[in-house]
Amino acid sequence: MTEMLISGKLAVRVVICLAVLVVVMCLCAVVGTQEISLKKVFAGPGEKPGENIDYEIFVGVRLPRVILAALVGAALACSGVILQAILRNPLADPYILGISSGAGLGVITAVISGVTWSFWGGSPMAVFAFAGAIGTVWLVWCIGRFTGKSQVTSLLLAGVVINAFFSAVIMFLTSIAKSDQLRLTIYWLMGNITEKSLSVLGVSAGCIIAGIFALFCISHRLNVLTLGEDEAKGLGVDTTRTRMTAFGFAAFITAIAVSLSGLVGFVGLIIPHGVRLIFGPDHRQLLPVSGIIGGIFLVIADTLARTIFGQEQLPVGVITAIAGGPFFLVLLAKYSRKVSWLK
Amino acid sequence: MSGIIKVENLSFGYRSQEAILKEISFEVIPGTFLAIAGPNGAGKTTLLNLLCGLLSAQAGSINIDAAPIESYSVKELAQKIAVVRQEFVPVFDFTVAQVVSMARTPYLGTFGFESQADKKFVNEALEMTDTAQFRSRPLAELSGGERQRVFIARALAQNTPILLLDEPTAFLDLKHQVGIYDLLKTMQLEKGKTIVAVTHDINLGAQYADVTLLLGADSSYHYGCATDVFSAEQIERVFGVRGFTGRIDHEKFFIPLGKFAKDSSQIDRKPDSST
Repeated sequence: MTEMLISGKLAVRVVICLAVLVVVMCLCAVVGTQEISLKKVFAGPGEKPGENIDYEIFVGVRLPRVILAALVGAALACSGVILQAILRNPLADPYILGISSGAGLGVITAVISGVTWSFWGGSPMAVFAFAGAIGTVWLVWCIGRFTGKSQVTSLLLAGVVINAFFSAVIMFLTSIAKSDQLRLTIYWLMGNITEKSLSVLGVSAGCIIAGIFALFCISHRLNVLTLGEDEAKGLGVDTTRTRMTAFGFAAFITAIAVSLSGLVGFVGLIIPHGVRLIFGPDHRQLLPVSGIIGGIFLVIADTLARTIFGQEQLPVGVITAIAGGPFFLVLLAKYSRKVSWLK
Repeated sequence: MSGIIKVENLSFGYRSQEAILKEISFEVIPGTFLAIAGPNGAGKTTLLNLLCGLLSAQAGSINIDAAPIESYSVKELAQKIAVVRQEFVPVFDFTVAQVVSMARTPYLGTFGFESQADKKFVNEALEMTDTAQFRSRPLAELSGGERQRVFIARALAQNTPILLLDEPTAFLDLKHQVGIYDLLKTMQLEKGKTIVAVTHDINLGAQYADVTLLLGADSSYHYGCATDVFSAEQIERVFGVRGFTGRIDHEKFFIPLGKFAKDSSQIDRKPDSST
C-alpha cells in the first residue's frame, strides 16, 4: 500500500468497497424486529397497497433507513478525514470546530420554541440544526481568520471556545426545558437515525455525494497541506484557498449529516484512522475509502441499534460511542508517543 | 548572461522591527552555486523566504527568470523554484516515495494523479539521491541524513531550474555534510541547476559554492567570489569572532578561536595570503 498510487488501482479498490457496502446494506435491510422474507420482497408490490407487507417494510421503511445511515456515515467519515488534514491533527473530528454545539443549540431552540414550519421536507429540528451548524462554523472561521496568522492553532482555539460557550447555553436551555421536550433533545444529541421522507433523502444524498466529490478533487493538495503551510506553498499549493474550500465542503456535508441524524459521535474519528492504518495516508485514497467504510460502519451500528432491544430503539450514537471509545484510547496511546503536531 | 535571480535594492523588516535586510542587490547567473552565510538574525532565512515568494519585499524587487516574482502564481513559482527547508517530521506516516511524488503537485491535472512522466521524474530523483532503497519506508523512520536526502530528492523531482536550501547540513555529521554538498554540486554540474544554500558552515560553503553572499547583523552585506570570504577582517566584522584563516593548496579555511582556545597565539598570526 506504500507505493505510488495509480488511478486504476484506486478505482478497483473503490469498486470493491462499494460492492461490500451494497451487500451490507441489503443484508441489514432484511434484518429487523419484524421478520420479512426476501422471496416475498422480490415478488413485487402486488396489485393494491397493503397486499405485500414484507415488500412495503423493505422498500418503504428499511431501505430508506439503511441508505440514510450509509449517507450519514460517509459524510462524517469524509469530514473527519478533511479536518484531520487541514488541522494537521490526527485527533480532530468533524465536530471539533463547533459544528456539534452549533447544531445542538439550533435543535434545542427549535424544540423549546415549538416552531412547526418546515423547509424542503426537513423537520424544524433538521432545519435549525443545519442553520446552527453552518452559522457556528462560519463564526469559528471568522474568529480564526481574525485572531492570527497561524490559522491552524487559532482555528482550533476558536472552535474549542465556541464549543464550550454553546455547550453552556445548551445546558442552560436543557435545564429549563419540559421533560417531553427533553427526551427529544437528548436523543438528538446522542445521535439518532430515524426514517426520513424520500424527498429529504434524495436531496441530502445529492448534496453529500457532490460534496465528497468536490473534496476528492482537492485531495492531492490536502496531502501536501499536511506537510505544513510553507512546504505546501513551495509545492505550488494555494494554501488559503485549498483550506477554505476543504473546510467549507466538510462543514457543509457535516451539517447535512447532523441535521439528518443528530450528533453521531466517533465515526468521523475512528474510520479515518482505521483506514489510514490499513491503506496509508494518501488522501486521494483515504477520502473515498473512508467514506464507504464509514457508511458500512454506520449501517451496521444502526442495525444493531434498532434490533438489539427488540422494539425499543437505541440512539445509534450510543453504539458508535461504545465501539469507538476504546478504539480512540488505543489510538491516543499509539499516537501521543510519536506524533508532533502543530509545530 | 543575464541572471536567473535578480535582486535589486531589496529591503525587508518584520512588523514593528527595524529592517533586517537593507538595500540588497545581487544577481545569480544560471547554473551557479550561491552560498548565503552570516550570523544568527542576519536575515538569511528571511532572504530565502523572500526568494521563494513566501514573504513579499517592502522595497526593491526580485526577478525570477526575467519576470517579477509577484507576477507568478503559487503554482507557476513552484515550477521555477524548489525549496528544501530545515528538517521536520510530517504529521501522518507518508512513505519516502509518497513524499517525493508530492513534488509533482504543481504539474498534476484535476484529479491529481501522477502520469507516467511524473513517475519517471520521481524515480530518477530517488535514484540520483540514492534514496530508492527506502522508497516504501515511512519518512519518520529515517535518520536525519537520509531524510535530508529525501527532501533533496523531492526538490529534484519538482524539476525546477532553481533550488533553494535552508541549512541543508544542520544536524548532520561530517560524512553526511560532505555527502549532501557533493550531491548538490552534482546537481549543479550535471543538471545545470542554480543552487542557493543558506549555511552556517563557511568552510564547506566556500569549498562548493561559486559565489557567496555574506549578510552581517548590522544589515551590511558582501557579495562576491566564494573564496573572498576568508579575510580575517571580513569574518571578524560579519560574524564577530576571531580566528585563524589559512589555506591548503586551493582550499581556504577558517577556524574560530575563542577565549579558551589552546593556541590563541594563532589569532594574531597573519595568514600568508600572497601565495
